[in-house]
Amino acid sequence: MPALPAATLPAGGRHRAGGRHRSHRRAAIIAAWVLAGGLAVTAAGAAGLALSRGGGTPARPAVARVPAPAGPAAAIPWPSAGRPVARPVALTIPAIGVRTPLVRLGLTPAGALQVPASPAVAGWYDRSPRPGATGSAIIAGHIDSLSGPGVFFRLSSLRPGDRVYVRRADGTLAEFRVTTVRSYLKASFPTAAVYGPAPSPQLRLITCGGAFDQALGSYLSNVVVYATAISGSAARPIRLRGSGRLRTSHRRRGLRALRGSWRLRAARRLRFSPRLRLI
Amino acid sequence: MRLPGKAVRLLLGAAVLISAGLAGAVPAAASTGYGWVRLAHLSPNTPAVDVYLYNFGNPSARLVLHHVSYGTVSPYEQVPPGDYTVSMRAAGASPKAQPVLSTGFWVSAGDAYTVAGMGPASGLRLQVLPDTLTIPNGRALVRVIQASLREHVVSVRLGGLMLARKLPFASLAPYRAVRAGTRMVRVAGETEQATTGVSLTADTVHTLVVLDGASGLQITDLSDAAGSQVQPGGGAATGLGGTAPRPAGSLLPWLAVIAAGALLAGGGARQYRHHRQSGPRPS
Repeated sequence: MPALPAATLPAGGRHRAGGRHRSHRRAAIIAAWVLAGGLAVTAAGAAGLALSRGGGTPARPAVARVPAPAGPAAAIPWPSAGRPVARPVALTIPAIGVRTPLVRLGLTPAGALQVPASPAVAGWYDRSPRPGATGSAIIAGHIDSLSGPGVFFRLSSLRPGDRVYVRRADGTLAEFRVTTVRSYLKASFPTAAVYGPAPSPQLRLITCGGAFDQALGSYLSNVVVYATAISGSAARPIRLRGSGRLRTSHRRRGLRALRGSWRLRAARRLRFSPRLRLI
Repeated sequence: MRLPGKAVRLLLGAAVLISAGLAGAVPAAASTGYGWVRLAHLSPNTPAVDVYLYNFGNPSARLVLHHVSYGTVSPYEQVPPGDYTVSMRAAGASPKAQPVLSTGFWVSAGDAYTVAGMGPASGLRLQVLPDTLTIPNGRALVRVIQASLREHVVSVRLGGLMLARKLPFASLAPYRAVRAGTRMVRVAGETEQATTGVSLTADTVHTLVVLDGASGLQITDLSDAAGSQVQPGGGAATGLGGTAPRPAGSLLPWLAVIAAGALLAGGGARQYRHHRQSGPRPS
């Protein structure tokens, strides 16, 4: 807005000088407001620029202090198959401040791993072996919700040697040691390595990681933590051969198996009958 | 043509290096860098022994099982891949004593092995059995070890399926893929027989061991491996992005706002100066 040269202002007499003065003052006030507004807009622009540059990563919350849980240690899995262990109910990972109940997970209609409805809890995939039984038990949890960290926010910062504890419904505690932490693109997820058979009791903790695709609304990678059961009693082999009574119970179990729902009954018997615990 | 010994050694060394390089270059998808070993005593008339597992180059044992008697199996020990030796000594013998039996074997990452003392006491040998970890989808795998001297030859049926026909003592019937489910196992020797039920969950591997029980044949179902009964497809949707770093958006809109603000402020300043100067001055 170019200022008009003074010469082009209408030449008025003295009687108009007061009015001109007033209009000049008004124009000066307006100009001051425009100046102030311009400065404000500039400042807002600069602030927006600064925020858009630096403000991407939300602050990381502090690690909650979670002590290692105590309780009766889970027995090392019987090398003989078919001996059930109790279902998992809670997970504790002191190194990253995780203490959560475990929900049951199944499959989505599309055949993918179901994930917990709440980002604050983890879940056990109920078609994987139970934690502490032979094989790789699968536990999944969210890295974040739409607004903040989830239960497995810090999963990728676990290191080999860190401890993971799973409490089972019978109160026993299965203890695991982290061996490997890997990140895989979801597009090339190693299904066999993660869900496939393992000969010893193991745990796979799964969450998201890597880049977040805003368009897809999903992370492009999965972080998988591999852990193996700590067998303080690994050097304790188990006798397969027993007394005549043992064999009888084996045979009985076999017959029950055919009648169905034997697993539950066997579990009950194993838990409550001191005689059978000697197997 | 005769190559001098040195040249042969060099060639062999190069071949080993090259094959090692090749092996290292192909990362096994299923491998997390570990192998597994378990130890078993399956010789009926051999007295109890102490069993040692050594890693190559390390004189102290990685695992020692004391007083292991017939029909005993250890849990799997997870070990780094490498060269291992299993040695047997009489129960209670000094760890420095010469072992009665020793066998060396290679543990590959992602593979499992059962090392079993098998045969009669007079012909005891340590046998390294590779255990499988690959299962046809939705099926179960079953094999049979015949470790009974009571019946030198046995046949083993799983439901209607003949798993092993006339299996001689101290031998092994290879894995068979079978339908998942609960089944009856029948083992029959010349005079004795035994029956037991086994639960064959999908994606599990089993070894049925035929043993001499206290008063007859005995079948034990060993768990070799277990996976998920149904393998989920692909990855898991375990994040909604609330903590993901936001992508740095385009700077242009903000720069335009700054430019507009600057223009406005500049224009305002100029007008202000003009009107302040021209206002009070009498013309």
